[in-house]
Amino acid sequence: MNTPLIEVKGLHKSFVVKKGFLGESKYVRAVDGISFAIRKGETFSLVGESGCGKSTTGRLVTRLLKPNEGEVWFNGQNISAYNDNQMRPVRKEMQMVFQDPYASLNPRMKVKDIVSEPLLIHTKMSSRERDKFATELLEVVGLSSYHAERHAHEFSGGQRQRIGIARALSVRPSLIVADEPVSALDVSIQSQVLNLLQDLQEEYGLTYLFISHDLSVVEHISDRIGVMYLGALVETAGKDALYDRPLHPYTQALLSSVPVADPSQKKERIILKGDIPSPVNPPSGCRFHTRCPSCMDICKQIQPVFQEVEPDHRVACHLYDETIMGKDGVHIN
Amino acid sequence: MTANKLLEVDGLKTEFKRDGGSITAVDGVNFHINKGEVLGLVGESGCGKSVTSLSIMRLLKDTPGKISGGAVRFEGSDLTKLKESDMRRIRGKDMAMIFQEPMTSLNPVLRIGKQLEEPIRLHLGYNRKKAREHAIQTLKLVGIPRAEELVDDYPHQLSGGMRQRVMIAMAMSCHPKLIIADEPTTALDVTIQAQILDLMRRLKEEKDMGMLLITHDLGVVAEMCDRVVVMYAGRVVEEASVKDLFEQPQHPYTKGLIRSVPKLRQNVRRLESISGNVPDLSRMPAGCKFAPRCPFVMEKCLSAEPDLVAVEGRTDRKSRCWLTQIDERGGETVHEYSAD
Amino acid sequence: MNDHSTVMGSGAPGGREQAVVPDKPKNPFGQFLRKFSKQKLSLIAGIFIVMLFLVAIFAPFLTPYNPDTPNYDKMMAGPSADHWAGTDEYGRDILSRLIVGARLSLAVSLSSVFIAAVIGTILGLLSGFYGKWLDRLIMRGSDVLFSFPDILLAIGIVAILGPGLLNVVIAVAVFGIPSFARMIRSVTLSVKETLFVEAARSIGAKDSRIIWRHIFPETVPSVIVNLTMKIGTAILAASSLSFLGMGAKPTEPDWGAMLSMGRDYLSIAPHVVYFPGVAIFLTVLAFNLLGDGLRDALDPKMKN
Repeated sequence: MNTPLIEVKGLHKSFVVKKGFLGESKYVRAVDGISFAIRKGETFSLVGESGCGKSTTGRLVTRLLKPNEGEVWFNGQNISAYNDNQMRPVRKEMQMVFQDPYASLNPRMKVKDIVSEPLLIHTKMSSRERDKFATELLEVVGLSSYHAERHAHEFSGGQRQRIGIARALSVRPSLIVADEPVSALDVSIQSQVLNLLQDLQEEYGLTYLFISHDLSVVEHISDRIGVMYLGALVETAGKDALYDRPLHPYTQALLSSVPVADPSQKKERIILKGDIPSPVNPPSGCRFHTRCPSCMDICKQIQPVFQEVEPDHRVACHLYDETIMGKDGVHIN
Repeated sequence: MTANKLLEVDGLKTEFKRDGGSITAVDGVNFHINKGEVLGLVGESGCGKSVTSLSIMRLLKDTPGKISGGAVRFEGSDLTKLKESDMRRIRGKDMAMIFQEPMTSLNPVLRIGKQLEEPIRLHLGYNRKKAREHAIQTLKLVGIPRAEELVDDYPHQLSGGMRQRVMIAMAMSCHPKLIIADEPTTALDVTIQAQILDLMRRLKEEKDMGMLLITHDLGVVAEMCDRVVVMYAGRVVEEASVKDLFEQPQHPYTKGLIRSVPKLRQNVRRLESISGNVPDLSRMPAGCKFAPRCPFVMEKCLSAEPDLVAVEGRTDRKSRCWLTQIDERGGETVHEYSAD
Repeated sequence: MNDHSTVMGSGAPGGREQAVVPDKPKNPFGQFLRKFSKQKLSLIAGIFIVMLFLVAIFAPFLTPYNPDTPNYDKMMAGPSADHWAGTDEYGRDILSRLIVGARLSLAVSLSSVFIAAVIGTILGLLSGFYGKWLDRLIMRGSDVLFSFPDILLAIGIVAILGPGLLNVVIAVAVFGIPSFARMIRSVTLSVKETLFVEAARSIGAKDSRIIWRHIFPETVPSVIVNLTMKIGTAILAASSLSFLGMGAKPTEPDWGAMLSMGRDYLSIAPHVVYFPGVAIFLTVLAFNLLGDGLRDALDPKMKN
């Protein structure tokens, strides 16, 4: 069994949305008690719809945000309470790639300075060494060395994302947290970047936390996957288990909602009723019960426990709770 | 056959003024939509698919763009030649549009009901009371619960999915013959997208409308469309029925596009991808616009641009590629260009 | 360009895409010049200001007469071929005094605005970046300064420090600080939220690096525009103080002081007041027009 590179235990994060006239505050519970572990060298993906808390989780893991509760263990150290100075050496080991390749690169900096900025912070390299390293990195991610002197705005979206990847790669991190790295890109460019990410993983033994809403992309790139809904994990499993035997009704609906680029394949579709509830006021009991096609009475009252039902396959659903379902043995699937 | 054509776009050319010069965003686009048919218009950003839809609706007035050639025939009459006042009568009544981002296309300070009633009163000549009833009816048609209460809400009180339903209700309210939907589900979550696509499919069947569905998502195309037009760099590069397109794509761009999308349960180690980037419209390559990225590029492709011609003599199957044209004539080239 | 991207916006996967024409690699300075040269009025103002600076620099070579030498034969003579702008109550050539005065006015206003810009920008950056008590402290301090009418504050400061040009510089600088601090704070607040700042944080950049390398460059256009606009105000304020006898000594060829001295002879020799007045008016107007043009060319978003 591989040791986990990163382990997240009972993470909570809320944001204040509104301070009322009388001083009462409303909170969005963006991440509400999630736990998972990522092993060295694997790609773990968080997938879910908008507002499910997947991006917040990514920022908690990289400690761009501080959790209200819970722990983040990275390489055997609990980094959840580290201050900026303590985090700095850890940041060398974990880098991020952002969704928006247009906004995540400083428009006033040259490409070589963007790519080598982490080196300036974390190493004692001279500026000439950094420049040399930066041009090498550009070649690694499929750009040319003559791009180094240009500014980011002269590049297309896909090229900019390559620059962002080169920046993340510069300090040879062990973990890269990629927050929707391809969702702003055109399809033909998307596959280029996905292939690049896979090649780099192989070459440098990287571990990825991949955050995305696109189930097809997630399936392609991941080893293990966690499905999030309204701030909580509802199911985690290996890729094949999750896509072949999704257990949670939400995962099932999500998978059946994906349009298939094959007109000969007409599949039965589970169409969920209603909208995603607001995370300011999440439903009682199981968060998904307002839209669940197999909702039972107990789901409205008691929040299901996130438990392992098969080896390495966890799910938070009363349907798989033997203490509840065991008696009559009803199994809806 | 012509009688069956609801909309015919014939050699449409749209130019944008920019920095003193002008660039051609849409260059000689041809396609048609039959009655009750869903035509998909597919392509990546900057391929001109949105400009095409705005040109059809003649909504380029507030932009630096201008239709500079070709015709758009709707039930036989050329829309590009109509007076603005006549066009207004068609827009919203016979032809309606659904946009990607409903929040920007709905007026934030007007109640939903008011926004719906306006075109109803204008186009159908109903009085206020009857228009309101009709608005509520239409909202129910698009699956909005508590429609009677919702007409008095403002757009920001609704969720993204609900707003898109309202947009569809607005488009549907005057019983259009053609709906132009520009990336109608791109801004939505996947479970909400499934709801909206389901709704659009149902409405299209019930009302027997034609639909032009503009999207970059091949999955949406496969599920919704009867026929597909693929655009690249302002041109149509391929036209086919949805089945033919996915089973036997002809143009190398279409092939690359289909193969570069990861599909569920497909389990490939590596995705195929199209190398390079979409060309800048102001610095287009000579010859075939896809040539610099094409894996099958030949010398001829770099100097001369192929026409969009029927494949294997079929009228419903067209491709803009020298490869298919050479194959057809047994190695002979169709056009002679002096190569430099 | 904006219209353009709106048109195309709807075709985007994920909502964002390049405009039809991806931005060509352009020299940003060339782009600025192109935009700026379209603003005819600002261009004229800019040329006027450049000439004013040349006059100030080469003043000793341009003056037709010694500006300090009295000529009691020609006291308060109107404009003539010998004295284009006439002479003052001591018979000194007004044109020469105006030319030398340009030096004083520009030196006083530029140095005071520059001091205000440096201090205000630093305060604005710190206030916007760190927020919390530091922000409250700096902003409440600005509010206090803002609550005085500009000139009253300056008078108060000079009253405490005593008259003299150096103190005028300090006074004008102090009341210029809050406007810089506020403006830079608001820019900082919005830049702080951008993804590239978060990216910098994610790679482990220190606060000082984030502020100076990533946020400060974004504030530069605002600083330049505000600086230009404030020079006009500063000239006006410095002249007012001199006019009130709190700035330049009456003997110095300061535009405000000239105005002040000429006031007594308004009925018999209006030209003594007229020419310094026009000089102040044109200079202030030119700086404001230039500021407008710079704003439009550098940062159209700032227009409100």
